[in-house]
Amino acid sequence: MKNLLYIAALLGSSLVAVACTTDATVDAGDGPLPGSPPLTTGGSDTTFNHDNSGYSPWELIDRLAQEGPAKYTSHVHSCSKVRYATLGNVLKSVGVDMTKTGAVSAAKLYQGGENALGAPNFANRIRENIGITTSGASREFDIFAAAADEVIAAMPTLERCKVGGIGAQMFDGTTCRTEGIACLTGQPATAAHVEFCNLAVSSATTPVAGKRIAVASLLAASYTCE
Amino acid sequence: MTEINSIASAPDLAAKKVAYEALVTAYLARPAFATQMVAFWRDTFKMGETAMLDTAPVFAADLAVNNKPYTDLFTRASNNCPTFDATTGAFTAAECSNGGTQVGVLTNPGVMVQYFGNFAFRRVKWVNETFDCLKFPVEIGNAPQDIGAASPYTGAWPLESIAGTSNGGRVNFQDTSSVLCVNCHQTINHIAPMFAHYDGTGKFTPGLSVPTPMGDDKLALDTDYLPAGETFAWRFGKPVSDLTALGATMAADPAIATCGVARVWNWALGKTDIVDTLMDVPAATIAAQTSAFSANNYKLRDLIFSVFTADDFVKF
Repeated sequence: MKNLLYIAALLGSSLVAVACTTDATVDAGDGPLPGSPPLTTGGSDTTFNHDNSGYSPWELIDRLAQEGPAKYTSHVHSCSKVRYATLGNVLKSVGVDMTKTGAVSAAKLYQGGENALGAPNFANRIRENIGITTSGASREFDIFAAAADEVIAAMPTLERCKVGGIGAQMFDGTTCRTEGIACLTGQPATAAHVEFCNLAVSSATTPVAGKRIAVASLLAASYTCE
Repeated sequence: MTEINSIASAPDLAAKKVAYEALVTAYLARPAFATQMVAFWRDTFKMGETAMLDTAPVFAADLAVNNKPYTDLFTRASNNCPTFDATTGAFTAAECSNGGTQVGVLTNPGVMVQYFGNFAFRRVKWVNETFDCLKFPVEIGNAPQDIGAASPYTGAWPLESIAGTSNGGRVNFQDTSSVLCVNCHQTINHIAPMFAHYDGTGKFTPGLSVPTPMGDDKLALDTDYLPAGETFAWRFGKPVSDLTALGATMAADPAIATCGVARVWNWALGKTDIVDTLMDVPAATIAAQTSAFSANNYKLRDLIFSVFTADDFVKF
């Protein structure tokens, strides 16, 4: 029955887009032209103009085709984005100074990235969008790239990276260290992690740029669900 | 790192499971969990970040953090507007001050303000989508009915059970000239009058105090929704007399509990909104959690623990 109701709801996205008529005088705002059929829609200030937003049936069909039916997908994790507030906490926890005001500082990019990162807009009854979008992922990588130098410098003092009171190092010269990678990703570093990190450092035009790319890539991979 | 290593260094899968579940238990006791719960319920309710608009999300978060029944959302009669200290993760009980009988979040002043609108229909939509996880229409009858329209009527209620211009209403909810309004309004009109007693500031008023689209001076009337003699109802065959009865009926509806489990499930597994994006959770997927939830008096923190330790959630 519930599946039927979902189908009905889906179809209802068009059904409920229109509304009921009245014989009373209606303040229809930008309503129908004279001679039109009886009112089915009204102005933006009337309930006669029903909410026409809804999930596109074509988008749903595409999603089902790509991901499979709900009886499968409901059993597995999705790849959601980190919540906006949580991303701020993450940045603080990896040593980013959130009081910086430079135009391309990680703090400034974060603070100005609410919309791109899908933060909630409760004044308009919009919850946080936890789906990954191109704009959100791009802004998040920009933030991590801008934060890389701060993260590398702060890592030895980061509480989240300490084991037995001893901090971690991200690099040993131009070689990535496992405890540094684990600190960024939140999971024990694998050989593949280390290989990727070293490759990023050695492939860049300079070691400094390579380290930035390595750190930003590891953070992005962890917090954009790659 | 110490927490990560406690799982990574466990000798086998059984030991990893024990270590993981201990960490989940510890996490559920931290102030950070309370903050995450407030955020979760803000998103679920699509409201918050002001003192008034936070009262409903904080109320729900308090249920989760302190392992109280989910059904309190629909039945609790006092202390329904608590406050939250994000620093300590502590909740402080407080009464709502908007007057009238208190019924969980169904009479919450923030909800009434956030979803204020013509005929109180927006409030009904919020209740249905938030707690039943369904957009209207939600009721389908046993067989289609020919009501003289281009397409048959598939609802559960008789067409004449809602108001139209032929039986005392000012808006023709029985209209069939384009689409069948009754498909949705069969349910909406039996609920909305109960929410129409709250004005734009969220305060309870003895008379109806929501506007209509028929001019600034025209407030809704009881006869706009239902013809004389028709009673309020949650669903066809489930009549109610007021919001207290509505809340009790919702609390007893298995679909409401299933929706609550599905929302927690989707949150844990990183899914988008179950209604807005049709991120359906088949009942079979969460059957074990739903069954345990109802058997455990709908305790919310226990539900969250069961979801985060479910076989689908973990790999050991």
